Amino acid sequence: MSRTAAHTQLRRTAIVCAALAAALMLASMLLGAGSLTPLDSLRALLGGGSEENTFIVYELRGPRTLLAVLVGVALGAAGTVMQAATRNPLAEPGLLGVSAGASFAVVLAIYYGADTVGMHFGIAILGALAGCFLVLLTTQMRGAGADPVRLVLAGAAFSSILVAMTTLILLHDQRSADEIRFWVIGALGGRPAGNLQWALPGVLAGLAMVGATAAALAALSLGEKVALGLGHRPVFTRVLAMAGVAVLVGTATAAAGPIVFAGLIVPYFARRLVGPDVRRALPLAMLIGPVVLLLSDILSRLAVRPYELPIGVVTACIGAPVLIAVVRSHRLPRL
Amino acid sequence: MNAAAPRPSDTPRGYWLLRPAGMALLVHRRGAWAGLLLAMAVLLVALGSLSVGTPSLPLAEVVAGLAGAGDPFNVFMLHELRLPRVAAGILSGAALGVGGCLLQTLARNRLATPGIIGIDDGATAFAVASIVAIPTSLAPPMLALAGATTAAALAFGLGGGGSRGYRFIVVGIAVGALFGAVTNFMLARSGIDAANLAYPWTVGSLNARAASTVALLGACLALCLPIAKMLGRDLQLLRFSDAVAVGLGTRLRRTRIAILVVTVLLTATAVAVAGPVGLVSLAAPEAARHLTGHRGVPIINSAWAGALLMIAADWAGRTVFAPVEIPVGVITAIVGGPYLLWILLREPRRTA
Repeated sequence: MSRTAAHTQLRRTAIVCAALAAALMLASMLLGAGSLTPLDSLRALLGGGSEENTFIVYELRGPRTLLAVLVGVALGAAGTVMQAATRNPLAEPGLLGVSAGASFAVVLAIYYGADTVGMHFGIAILGALAGCFLVLLTTQMRGAGADPVRLVLAGAAFSSILVAMTTLILLHDQRSADEIRFWVIGALGGRPAGNLQWALPGVLAGLAMVGATAAALAALSLGEKVALGLGHRPVFTRVLAMAGVAVLVGTATAAAGPIVFAGLIVPYFARRLVGPDVRRALPLAMLIGPVVLLLSDILSRLAVRPYELPIGVVTACIGAPVLIAVVRSHRLPRL
Repeated sequence: MNAAAPRPSDTPRGYWLLRPAGMALLVHRRGAWAGLLLAMAVLLVALGSLSVGTPSLPLAEVVAGLAGAGDPFNVFMLHELRLPRVAAGILSGAALGVGGCLLQTLARNRLATPGIIGIDDGATAFAVASIVAIPTSLAPPMLALAGATTAAALAFGLGGGGSRGYRFIVVGIAVGALFGAVTNFMLARSGIDAANLAYPWTVGSLNARAASTVALLGACLALCLPIAKMLGRDLQLLRFSDAVAVGLGTRLRRTRIAILVVTVLLTATAVAVAGPVGLVSLAAPEAARHLTGHRGVPIINSAWAGALLMIAADWAGRTVFAPVEIPVGVITAIVGGPYLLWILLREPRRTA
C-alpha cells in the first residue's frame, strides 16, 4: 500500500470512528437505567426539561460520558503502545496485571488512611509503574519473555495474587468494604467530583509520553538492530513508552477502577483497520477507545434495567472472544 | 512386607514385586513411601485442625471425643461441626488434586489445570445461577456439573483439543473470564440477600458445605479414583507424543474422553463443596511428582497432597487472623500464585 493511500484510508477510518464516538456520546446522554425516557432527556439536554431531569442529564450522565471518553482514550492508547513496546499482540494492561497493581496500591493506601482524590491518582500511577516495571523485566527474560502467551499467564497469576490480597484487606476492614469493592470491579458512574479535573492532565501527560515514542516504536517493530541502525535507542524507547503506559493506566484506574480487556479490544480493531504500524494505529486507537467504552457503558445501563451492570462484565463479554480469536489465529501476528 | 522376588532380574530397580493371590503387582518403592508420608501428614494436620478453634482442645481430648468418650459437648462439637469440615476439606482437596493431575497429563502441560482453564469458573457460574437467577428444583451440584462440562467443552473445542500448548491455556483463561463475567452479571442483578447466599460460591470456602453435597463428592471420588488408576498405563503413554502413544497401543480418542469425563466430574463436585479453590489442582500434582521422583503419573499421591494442602490452608485461614476467618480460596491464591509465577518463569531455563 502506498503512503498516500494509507493516509487516505486512515483519514477515512478516523472520520467514521469519530462520528461513531459522537453519536454514542449523544446516546450516552439520552439513555439510562432509570425511568427517564430518551425524549424527556433530549428535552432536558436542549434546556427545556424539569429541574430534576436537567440534573440527571447534566450532572450525572454528563460527567459519566466525559469520563468514558477520557478512560477510553487512555486505555486504547495504553493497550496499543504496550503491544508495540513488548512486541506482543496479547499485551493488555488488565491481563498483564498493571491495572491490578494500580488498584491494589490504592486499596492499600485507603486502608492506611489516604482519602483525597488527588492522592488516589498519584498512588495509582505509582502502582501502575511498578506493574509496568515487572512486565518489562519479564519480557527481557529469555524464554518466558519471548512467548506472548506465557506472558499472559504470568500476568493472570500476578493479578490473582493481588486480588486475593485485596480480598484479605476487605475482610479485615469491613468499614471500607463498599469503596474497596469498586477498586476490584470498576465503574464509570457515581465517581466523586474532582475526578475529571485530575484525570484530564494525567491522560494528556501520558499521551505526550507515548506519542513521543511512536516513531521509535515503529522502528523497533523491525527488530532491535534495525532500530539501532536508524538512530533510535531501544532501551530508552521501551522504558519511556512503558512509563507513559503506566501514567495512562494509573490515571484510568484511579478514575474508573480496573477495566479489563479494553486495552485488548481496541488495538485489535485498530490493527485490522489500518495495519500494524503503530504510528497509524495509535491515533485510531484513541478514537476507537471511547467508542468501545461508551458502548460498553450504555450496554451496562440497559442490559438489566432498572439495575446496572459493572462495566467490566460488558468489556469481558466483548474481550474474551477477541482474546480467543487472537490466540486461535494460525500464527500470532508479529509486532 | 510379603515382597518375594524369585529371580532378582524379575523386579526392576526401585520396585517391590507383590504376588497377592497369584497376580504379580509392581509397586514403585519411592511412590509408596511418599504416599505413606503424605497420609501421615494428612492425619496429623487433620488432628491439629480438629483441636484448634473456640474452644481449643488438647489432642488427647480430641482423640477421646472422636471415640465418643469425654465431655458430651466436645463430642457434639467434634462430630457435628469440626469433623464434617475436615472431611469436606480432605475430599475436595483430593478430588481437585486428582483432577489437576489428569488434566496436566492430558494436555501435556503443567499449567493446564481445571482452575486455570476455566472449569472452576464454569461450575461457579452455573451454581450461582441456580441460586440467584433461575430458580430450579435442580440442586447446585448438578448445575455445577453442567457448568464444568460446558466450560471444558468450550475450552477444548476452541483450544484445539489441548494439543496446542499454551494457546489452549489462554483460550481457557478467556473462557474463564467469560464465565466470571456471567457470575458478576447475575450477582449484579440479584437482590442483596440472594447475592449474600451466593457469595461463598465465588471465593472458595469450606464454610458453606452441605452434608448431602459432601456425600455426593465422596461417592464421586470412590467411583473416579479406581477409574483414574485403571487409566494409569494409558496416562503414562500419553506423556509421549500422539504417534508414540498410538504405536504402543493407546486408543487416544477413547482415553482422552475418559480422562476428561473423570476430571470434569471430580472438579465439579469438589467446586460444589468448596467453591473455586483452583490452585490446589496446580500445586498438589506438582508436589506429588516431586516426592515420587518424576516417575509415572502419581494419581493417589496427588489425592493425598491435595487433601493435605486443602486442610492445611483451611487451618491457616481459621487461625492466622482469628477471629476473622479467611476463606481457603484466598489463602491458596496468596500461596499458590507466586508458585505459579515461579513455574512459568523458571521453566525455560530447565528445558533450554
